[in-house]
Amino acid sequence: MSYATRNIDIEPAITDLRSRTLSRLPGDFSRLVYLASSRDCNTGKYYHDGLAFHFSQNVASKAMALCHKEIFDRLVYASLGELIDELSNYISSTDERPEDFLKSWEHLGSYRITIPSECDELEADVFLSNLKMALAILQTRQKHASRDEQSA
Amino acid sequence: MIQWLPYLFLGLLLLAVLGWWVWDAIVHRSAAELLTPRQHRLGAESVGSRRDLGERIFGPQDWDFVVRETPPQIQRMFQRDRTLLAIAWLRRTRIRTSQVMHAHVAVARQSKDVQIGMEVKLALSYLLFLILSNSLIGWVWLRGPVQTRRIVRQTLQWVAWQRAAFERLMAVVDPANHKALETGFNQGTAQS
Repeated sequence: MSYATRNIDIEPAITDLRSRTLSRLPGDFSRLVYLASSRDCNTGKYYHDGLAFHFSQNVASKAMALCHKEIFDRLVYASLGELIDELSNYISSTDERPEDFLKSWEHLGSYRITIPSECDELEADVFLSNLKMALAILQTRQKHASRDEQSA
Repeated sequence: MIQWLPYLFLGLLLLAVLGWWVWDAIVHRSAAELLTPRQHRLGAESVGSRRDLGERIFGPQDWDFVVRETPPQIQRMFQRDRTLLAIAWLRRTRIRTSQVMHAHVAVARQSKDVQIGMEVKLALSYLLFLILSNSLIGWVWLRGPVQTRRIVRQTLQWVAWQRAAFERLMAVVDPANHKALETGFNQGTAQS
């Protein structure tokens, strides 16, 4: 199948995914985590029932992979400040306590699963390094905030 | 003192050849438009929405943020991480260029129509590139990407300019490998 034909197949699925699912998530980091967690770690294929129903499992998986890579690219080239804002937004959107979240992500290295299957190795290293920094900075801020609360 | 004269002479000769070659490349720049890093990046972006990873690693924005917002411990962590990334990027750029050069040498060995002048220019250009990239790796390793970012930026501009001249020569000498070089740079230096 040619590249053009494949694009014609995938484009509506990408549009559908963006408008119905991804746009409802608060920020690129949430989208990245959502797409990464929709991926089967054993096969690398992505699963989305609605998308697969409208198109096909194969097209849905490819559309999700492309969106995953696109969002990852945006975050790799986002500044450290922007990445911290994205991560904070994501933490706020979960029900977890920020300190528990940060500790868990740092110890378990959960953020490693957010890397798309097909990406440049050095881009992945840059992203992981930036994310590690963002976690460290947020943890420092968190500690300062709780110290301030205690002293008050 | 006299025993140093041959070395001095050789050094001056090498400098003169390089100087002449640089001058020649500047004079003939208008004939074949130079591929500046920005142009290259835009071209790469239009193909696969790729950007310049080198600029991302060496850019001052993150360091300014880290200095402004974080304690020294995190600043050290940032410097350590960025040094490793910068060295990895420089090494990869060097390796990809070397691969193309080796491919070209293999083709040139079998070719009956080798242009000596062009080959010498190509070899000098490659040698200069190797010297520059190795010096940069050493410099970044010693001082870190933050302290060296100005010199790295200037050298990268020089390397981009060198690369354009190198590509022009490759296009003339070896069109097949020239295409591989373009692809390699698109994935290696310009966007990554």
